[in-house]
Amino acid sequence: MVILEGKNISKRFAGLLAVSKVDFHLKQGEILGLIGPNGAGKTTLVNVIAGVYTPSTGKVFFKEKQISGKHPYQIGRLGISRTFQVVKPFPGMTVKENAAVGAMYGAGGKTKSVKQALQKAEEILEFVGLADQMNKGADQLGVASRKRLEMAKALAMEPELVLFDEVMAGLNFGEIDQAVELIKKIRESGKSILIIEHVMRAIKNVCDRIFVLHHGEKIADGTVDDVLNNETVIKAYLGRRYKELTH
Amino acid sequence: MVLQILVNGILKGGLYALMAIGMSLIWGVMDIINIAHGAFIMLGAFTTYWLFTLFGMDPFVSLVFSMVILFVLGYGVQKIVINNVIRAGAFITLILAFGIDIFIKNLALVSWTADVRKVQVSYGAANFSLGNWVTIPTVRLLAFILVIVISLAFYFILNRTNLGRSIRATSQDLDAARLVGVDVARTYAITFGLGVGAAGAAGTLWSILFPISPMMGGELTLKSFVVVIIGGLGSMLGPIIGGLALGIAEAFGTDWFGSTYGNLISFTILVAVLIVRPKGFLGKAD
Amino acid sequence: MEKKLIQKFLICGIVLLLTVLFPLFSNNFTIRFGTDILMFAIMASAWNIIGGYTGYASFGNVVFFGIGGYITAVLMERTGMNFGFAYLAAGFGAALFAVLIGLPVLRLRGHYFAIATLGVAEAMKALVQNLQITEGNSGIYLPLLNFSIKAQYYFFFYIMLGTLVLTLVATYLMLNSKLGYSLIAIRENEEAANSVGINTTWSKTVAFALSGLFTGLAGSIYAYQQAFLKPGPAFSVETTVKMIVMAVFGGTGKLFGPLIGAFSIEMISETLSNYFLVAHTLFFGTVVILAILFAPKGLIDLITKRKFGLSYFLENIRQHRI
Repeated sequence: MVILEGKNISKRFAGLLAVSKVDFHLKQGEILGLIGPNGAGKTTLVNVIAGVYTPSTGKVFFKEKQISGKHPYQIGRLGISRTFQVVKPFPGMTVKENAAVGAMYGAGGKTKSVKQALQKAEEILEFVGLADQMNKGADQLGVASRKRLEMAKALAMEPELVLFDEVMAGLNFGEIDQAVELIKKIRESGKSILIIEHVMRAIKNVCDRIFVLHHGEKIADGTVDDVLNNETVIKAYLGRRYKELTH
Repeated sequence: MVLQILVNGILKGGLYALMAIGMSLIWGVMDIINIAHGAFIMLGAFTTYWLFTLFGMDPFVSLVFSMVILFVLGYGVQKIVINNVIRAGAFITLILAFGIDIFIKNLALVSWTADVRKVQVSYGAANFSLGNWVTIPTVRLLAFILVIVISLAFYFILNRTNLGRSIRATSQDLDAARLVGVDVARTYAITFGLGVGAAGAAGTLWSILFPISPMMGGELTLKSFVVVIIGGLGSMLGPIIGGLALGIAEAFGTDWFGSTYGNLISFTILVAVLIVRPKGFLGKAD
Repeated sequence: MEKKLIQKFLICGIVLLLTVLFPLFSNNFTIRFGTDILMFAIMASAWNIIGGYTGYASFGNVVFFGIGGYITAVLMERTGMNFGFAYLAAGFGAALFAVLIGLPVLRLRGHYFAIATLGVAEAMKALVQNLQITEGNSGIYLPLLNFSIKAQYYFFFYIMLGTLVLTLVATYLMLNSKLGYSLIAIRENEEAANSVGINTTWSKTVAFALSGLFTGLAGSIYAYQQAFLKPGPAFSVETTVKMIVMAVFGGTGKLFGPLIGAFSIEMISETLSNYFLVAHTLFFGTVVILAILFAPKGLIDLITKRKFGLSYFLENIRQHRI
């Protein structure tokens, strides 16, 4: 089943066309990677999916129902969660409370009381490996933990689809491997994932398919091997050295 | 008749613009809403009053004194008080400004009593006529010209001098400015001084035109807000637009609805502008 | 954890009991002073809902005070309604106004929101000054109570106390509900709050309405107590300043902060008046400046962290200087 689909998506900001006529689809249970140089329009596209922007042209469909034009909170409640490239925790709350807010208001929120949400938060923090920092203030976490918390907030919403925006940025190799394991666990729990990344190591290990944006346009779309060997992609983004280094 | 109302509005607007330009500078650069602005205007007015009453100094001459004295005062207040609190957030700084406002107003009250004073100059009521259509009060015209001069001076300082460059850098990114060697504490102090100095000039002119008292500041602060919002933050010419808009709106509003509706008009405009176009006419987006 | 909660309840209970007994041992002047403290405590606590917890610092909350007062005055004087219904109508009317004005104005952030609310309050003052039904600037009279003087003092004290208890209980319940979490989330990071599924417009509007409701109730009691209302005092920006200073002084974002702030500020004010007949407001301004400089997190922070030394104050400056 195609859980997420974008048809002919464009987004224009005054004079700048950030995203241009992009088509994409994501099947249920799939991990789809989105790569491309900085400024290619990746985060803008995610923002369109998440409802922060309304597309200038085109429509986004979630489970075959149109979601483009809805507010971010509505999209969150329908079952799509996202993380932010520059993490946005709630500094005045504890780690547990941060996750609990997601549980209260996300797709699973209607049936939860505050107490149940806090309970759910504990489970989620256990799942992402932050259980030992549960009662710390969110502003006291280190970089890797902050990224985890960002993911925890998204997961606590009990989404069917998660949009990860550069969750690996700033992590060292060990932390990247841990994050990759976590993402695999998330897929195993039944979720579909769209992941924006620059860290190729992660993309290769985790994605089923990749599509590539450059100057707002899609320039490639296919399996990991196909895309990473694609001449256009290499020219635009990966570079000759990458091909040499990885072969 | 309509022409006269328009002229009255423009001239009053010029005075409003002069009042507001200091607030706009401080707000635009340091993100400080100077609630005490009206109190500084009042001090400028009283500086002129005392120089006039004690030494017979002509108000237009005392303009220089009032601007300089208030510049020094503003510099001091920023350096000693506000700079020590500014990283606690805009809101805390706001409360501090309230405290300063209360302090200044009441210090004036205790020192000079609540009596209403007036600077009676011989040329206070002078005017000239353009044919049969309009009468222009001379002092208000001079005030208007002064607004243009000071606005241009601020514009020049901000855009053509090194000091101005420091000020603009600091307003865009405090830490980055510090990193490239700008003395941000001093820059802030100078900026506040300039803003308050402009308030002093406005006070001087106000004292020639209207009666003054230690409590006069509150209303003037509110009017300055309206002007700054309408004109838009971040532009030195914004207050002129804002002042003119407010002055003209009040002039016609008062003519159509009566003088008691003046405030209702100004504040409804304020709220409407904020809802529809918070940037105002010339404001820069943030 | 449980023991701490019981301790807190106990302290609250004792303080409440003492407050209830207070008028029995005081003269009329002191009872009136106490009533004023309670009134400001209500307004500061109500302000805290939108200002402290949601992070939207309203500079026009006095508008709800005035609206509450004038609704009461007009209903009682013009239609002969009794105080009970007028009081409820006042609260409801103020809350309704909050919803109406909140929809456009809560879209603004930070400074702009503050100025907009200030503008709304001043515009309302100007409007009331020009309306026939409110008697404009001459002021409107309210009917007098049919009690003895002493009984009147008691009456207003206890109504004000009841309203304060209502305000604090409602705030407490809200804080422990989903709404409470959503407000703090909005304050901490509104964009994240939106993406986590919170309908921020709804939450903010509810908070603003609650804030307006309780402030309106306080205004209603004030009007009846004064038996006379004028636009100037009813919509005075100084009242807003006072409630904000009290909330900050006591500690925003904490349930009892504004109450402690109201109590302290009024006591300081009164003491200063006694010693410095002429200059007490001057010293008050000085106190505010010093308090903000050295203890911007408020008294509650001082009390709960048990730091009274010089180093605490200097540390605050070091953290906050440019």
